[in-house]
Amino acid sequence: MTMLSTYQLVAIAMFSIGLFGVMNRRSLVGMLIGVELMLNGAGLSIMAAGQFTQTAGALAQLSTLLVMGLAAAETTLVLAIVLIVDKRFGHVESENISMLRG
Amino acid sequence: MQYLAYLTFGMYLFLVLGGGLVATGSRSIVRAFAGLLVALVGVAGLYFLMDAPFIALMQILIYIGAVCVIIFMAVMLTMASRGEGYESKLKSPAKRIMSMLAGAVMAFLLAGMVMKYPLASTVAPRHIPVAELGEALLGPYALAFELISVILFVAMVGAMVAVYERRK
Repeated sequence: MTMLSTYQLVAIAMFSIGLFGVMNRRSLVGMLIGVELMLNGAGLSIMAAGQFTQTAGALAQLSTLLVMGLAAAETTLVLAIVLIVDKRFGHVESENISMLRG
Repeated sequence: MQYLAYLTFGMYLFLVLGGGLVATGSRSIVRAFAGLLVALVGVAGLYFLMDAPFIALMQILIYIGAVCVIIFMAVMLTMASRGEGYESKLKSPAKRIMSMLAGAVMAFLLAGMVMKYPLASTVAPRHIPVAELGEALLGPYALAFELISVILFVAMVGAMVAVYERRK
């Protein structure tokens, strides 16, 4: 097994654990934790693909940095959404949030 | 020396997988959050092993310093005030098995692809000095750099506008 596939298998494991977390959790905060795991798996895979092959110079490292920036932006917005949901429904359980009226 | 590298890799692998499993499996949200922290530290270690120390430090700074604090704020502002550190009753076993299946199918498909069509891989990671990263950010990838700043700015302002409440 090459170095690249080893790291990519780790990344896939992390992604799948995150996916399981998103599906399995009931609260929005728990789902957010799963999403962070998935994003980290993606970043790990990108980084391995760049560091162990002959791609253009700094591309992989900067892409990973980009993924981190996007994750930070996404987390900020999700925090706001969680706060609004908590204010409106009094809880953050995803299964009971089913009202469509504004 | 090589054994030391394998040992370190195994340790980080343990941190990543163990942390991830605690983060998704624990009923207590704070424990899940601690598991996420451990997994993120493990990923930072893997970045160090891949000879990307700058990104590893950024991982610690951005994920552990910023994202985790935001998630902790979310826990504090929504669940802690009502004394609900735990998720309410567990999902039915069928749903739990379904979500496990979702993760497992994804993992088997992707892992099968990686094992069936392996790419040509070097043994040692490439060394890219930090100066080169900076030059690339201000040269060919300047647009991406500007765009991520705009996205961060819009996200921050959007979050503030969303939770803002006019005083009555």
